Amino acid sequence: MKRLPLAAVLAVFTGWLLWSVSARQAALFAVGLGLGAVLAGQRFGFTTGWRMLIEDKDASGVMGQILLLALAAALAMPLLGHYPELTAALGPPSVSLLVGAFVFGLCMQIADGCGSGTLYKAGLGIPMNAAILPLFALGSFLGSLHLGFWLDLGRAQPVGLVGQFGWERALLITLAALAAVAAAVRWYAGRAGAAAGKAPRPLVVRRWMVGAVLLALLATLNLVIAGQPWGVVYGFGLWAAKLAQASGAADLANNWFWSQPGNAARLHETVLMDVTSITNIGILGGALWVSAGKPSSARPLNGTQWAVALIAGLALGYSSRLAFGCNVGAMLSGISTGSIHGWIWVPLAFAGTIFGLRIRRHFGF
Amino acid sequence: MTRHTTLRLVFWATLAAFLAWDWSSSKPVDLRLEPPLIAAGSGQAAAGGHCSMPD
Repeated sequence: MKRLPLAAVLAVFTGWLLWSVSARQAALFAVGLGLGAVLAGQRFGFTTGWRMLIEDKDASGVMGQILLLALAAALAMPLLGHYPELTAALGPPSVSLLVGAFVFGLCMQIADGCGSGTLYKAGLGIPMNAAILPLFALGSFLGSLHLGFWLDLGRAQPVGLVGQFGWERALLITLAALAAVAAAVRWYAGRAGAAAGKAPRPLVVRRWMVGAVLLALLATLNLVIAGQPWGVVYGFGLWAAKLAQASGAADLANNWFWSQPGNAARLHETVLMDVTSITNIGILGGALWVSAGKPSSARPLNGTQWAVALIAGLALGYSSRLAFGCNVGAMLSGISTGSIHGWIWVPLAFAGTIFGLRIRRHFGF
Repeated sequence: MTRHTTLRLVFWATLAAFLAWDWSSSKPVDLRLEPPLIAAGSGQAAAGGHCSMPD
């Protein structure tokens, strides 16, 4: 389909949401379309950025992500300070976070996409990511079924910098920490690149910088409209939970996660009322619009690669639920709204990525 | 039609079928209880699900 008729279809769907669901959900769908268009148009992949740093000693992708985190924090923290009805992405430091983040970082390299990456690549029509998406949802649902068990292994109360120190100091702490990470990444890329005999790569690359600015603006719009930061994983788990409940495959009324009042209520509402689901659908639509009229460049996979990728996709969903988010929900939304769990998530996921790249190479992805 | 195009059609048809099933089987949307368009400044606490929040 060409872009113009596709834009018309997306506009009609937005209008239907406005008429039949709510103005907020229509607005969030539009934000999702923007997120999908930016992620796909700029090829802003969190997974790719980390891989470029480790394999090519190219820090431009990670620098783009650090800029995104800094801009999103600079926009979100004052809002959180001024509007008490807005919530931060506060996940509990816990055993499940440690395990989940590591496994997620490992699997995202094999599956070639995190939460947002799987969405936008599925929207672009890449067969592997499109096939992974339902398994991601199933894994996220299975993770939610077991979350009570994982939390019993050890958890602390969530820590939010904005609540602890006020938004001004929280922002200063966050920006200082991000500057330290940027300096360390620059040092590593330069030193490791020289040792490997690679020519120095530019730290600032236009597509990453443009993507970072646009994503920060759209993530802030999501926060202002929805009252909560951008997330991906919750929507996936909800979709699978609704199917499981309807088919009688799981007794959710007695499950720790799904018997929480908010989660239980959402099982009876349409997913079009769920803020995370509606932006997820928007991301798919935005990426589809970007891909319209373009030939796909997906590389064919052999049987073993397919099997490994699908297993990784299932584990990706499971681990993201345990880790209280993916690169979006935990890293971007967590860090930009001052959650300590985002800062714990990043090194664990990065360690997992190092192992994931080895497995990726082993299977010839 | 190429295999790739067929796969894309299957993906989008599955998603559309899921959304249609979900819409028809879920509790009807009560438009009188519509949430505020903009949460910031509305005075209503956010009540959506998020992956960072276990409960």
